[in-house]
Amino acid sequence: MLSVLGLAGAVEPVFMAANHTHRFVFESEGRVFDLPCGVAEWRRALLAEFPGDRIAVDRYFDRVETVRMHTPGMDLSRLTEPARRLDEDSVSLAAVLDGLTDNALLKAVLCGLGMCHGVKPSEISFASHARVCFELYESTARLRHGGESLIDAFADRFKALDVDVRTGSWITACGDVTDDRVTRFELNTGEEVSAGSVILTIHPRQILELLPRGHYSKAFAARVEAFEPSAGFFTVYGTLDDGPDPDFGSTIVSLFPSLDFEAMLSPDYRGEPALVIVGSLDEANGAPCRVVTAFEPSFFEHVAPWKDSLTGRRPPGYAAYKADRVAAIRRHLGRYDRRYEERLRVLDSASILTFRDYLHSPEGAAYGIKQKVGQYNLIGKLPIRNFFAAGQSSLLPGLMGAMMSSFVVTRLVLGRDTVNRLTSTPP
Amino acid sequence: MTKDEIVALTNRVFEESFEIPAEKLTPQARIFDELGLDSLDIVDLIVALQKQFKIQIREDERVRTIRTLEDVYMFILTLKQESEQARPAGS
Repeated sequence: MLSVLGLAGAVEPVFMAANHTHRFVFESEGRVFDLPCGVAEWRRALLAEFPGDRIAVDRYFDRVETVRMHTPGMDLSRLTEPARRLDEDSVSLAAVLDGLTDNALLKAVLCGLGMCHGVKPSEISFASHARVCFELYESTARLRHGGESLIDAFADRFKALDVDVRTGSWITACGDVTDDRVTRFELNTGEEVSAGSVILTIHPRQILELLPRGHYSKAFAARVEAFEPSAGFFTVYGTLDDGPDPDFGSTIVSLFPSLDFEAMLSPDYRGEPALVIVGSLDEANGAPCRVVTAFEPSFFEHVAPWKDSLTGRRPPGYAAYKADRVAAIRRHLGRYDRRYEERLRVLDSASILTFRDYLHSPEGAAYGIKQKVGQYNLIGKLPIRNFFAAGQSSLLPGLMGAMMSSFVVTRLVLGRDTVNRLTSTPP
Repeated sequence: MTKDEIVALTNRVFEESFEIPAEKLTPQARIFDELGLDSLDIVDLIVALQKQFKIQIREDERVRTIRTLEDVYMFILTLKQESEQARPAGS
C-alpha cells in the first residue's frame, strides 16, 4: 500500500526478530511460547508445541488462510473485485476454536493476538480475527523514528501533490441537501468550504451526528447506535536506563495472567490484566535510547467517575487511579523481568480518557467499534450520496484496516478503472 | 413461527424503522419502486430483520433476488425453518 502511495522509501520498517517475533507468557500455567514470523512458521511452531492437537492447529491455520484468500481487500491486485461475506463472517472465533479442540492452552495461544482487535472471542467473527491476525503472523515491524516518520512521509507527499492538509478544523454543519447530496459545509472556524465528495474516517456515531436529519432512516440510525466500542488501553511509557541488553527491542512480549480471554477482554474483569510490552531501540538527543511501551486492556467503565473532566483539569481521584495502575504495571513488569523493576524510568502514562481526548475516539477505544459476528459496518456510500465512510471502524481495526478501507472507498469515488491504473503503476 | 406472525413482525420493521405507512404494506408491494427503499437501505433492512427475528442474515444471493414484500416474508420464513431444523432436538 505504501508503494502505491509513493511512500515505500520514505519510511523504514524495523522488523522484530524473525525467530521470536511474539513471546506469549501464560503466567497461570508457567508456559512461554516464542512465536516466529510467518504463517507457515507459526503453524510449524504450534504443531511442535501441541503434538496432540495437530488437526486442530492445521485446521485453524487453513481457515485463516482461506479467509485471507477470499478477502480481496487484503490484496491490492484484487482490490476491484467485489467483496462478499464469508461463512467465517457468521461464526465467532470462540465457536470455531471450541469446534477444534478442548485444549484451553492452545485456544488461548490462538486468541493471543486478540489484543490487537480488542474484542472477546465470543463476539468477534472468525473472519475479522483472521484478517487482523494473518498480517501479524506474517510479519510485525515498527517504524524507525516511530509514527512521526509516517506523518512526515505523508506530509511530504501531500506537499508534492499540492494537497492542502488542515488540522484542528472540522465540519460543524452541512449546507442544503440537493438530490441527496451536500456540497457546501461550514467549519468550526466559521469558514465555508465546498467539496464534491467527502470521505469521513471519524467514528460512525460522529458520522450520524453530522448527517442532515430527515435524510437517513431510523433503521440506519439504529444500526449505528448499536455499534459498541472495542477495548482501549492503559499505557505506560518509559525508558530503560543503560545496561547490557543485547536482545532489547526485538520481541513483543504479552503477559497473560489467565487463559480466559473472554474475561480479560471484559470491562468487569477484576483479575490482574494482560500486559503487552513493546520495546524499541531508538535515539534521543543523538544517544541510543531503550523505549518501553507497556499497555493493559482497559475500558471506559474504568474511568467513568471522571468522564466529564477535561485534560489538565482532572479531579485528584483520577491522579490516584493513574498512579495505582502505573504501580501495578511496574510490579507486573518486574515479575516478568527484573530489569524493569530495577531500571525502568516511567516518563508518562495514558488512560482511556487520555485516548478519548487526544485521539477524539469516543469512549477511548483503541480500535474503533467492535467487529462483531453478523455486524454490518458503515463502509462506502452513506445516505448522503457524496459522503463515504472509511477508517478503522469501517472494515478492520488498526492501521492496516484504516488503509485498506481507504483503498476500497477510493475505488468508489474514482471508479474501478482509475484505481486499477493507479495501483498497477505506482509512482 | 407462523407466516402470519412473520408478516406482522416484518411489517412492523417497515413501519417503525423506515416510516412506511401501514396501508402501503401489501404483499405485492415492490420494496424499491413502491416502498422507496434503495440499495443502501438493504443493509439496514437486514440488520433490522436480524434484530426483530433474532436470526443471522447474510447479504447473499437470496437477498439479491428479493423484489416484493412477499419475497421478504418468504425469505424470513425459510430462514426460520432452517434455523429450527438446525437446532438440536429437545433444545
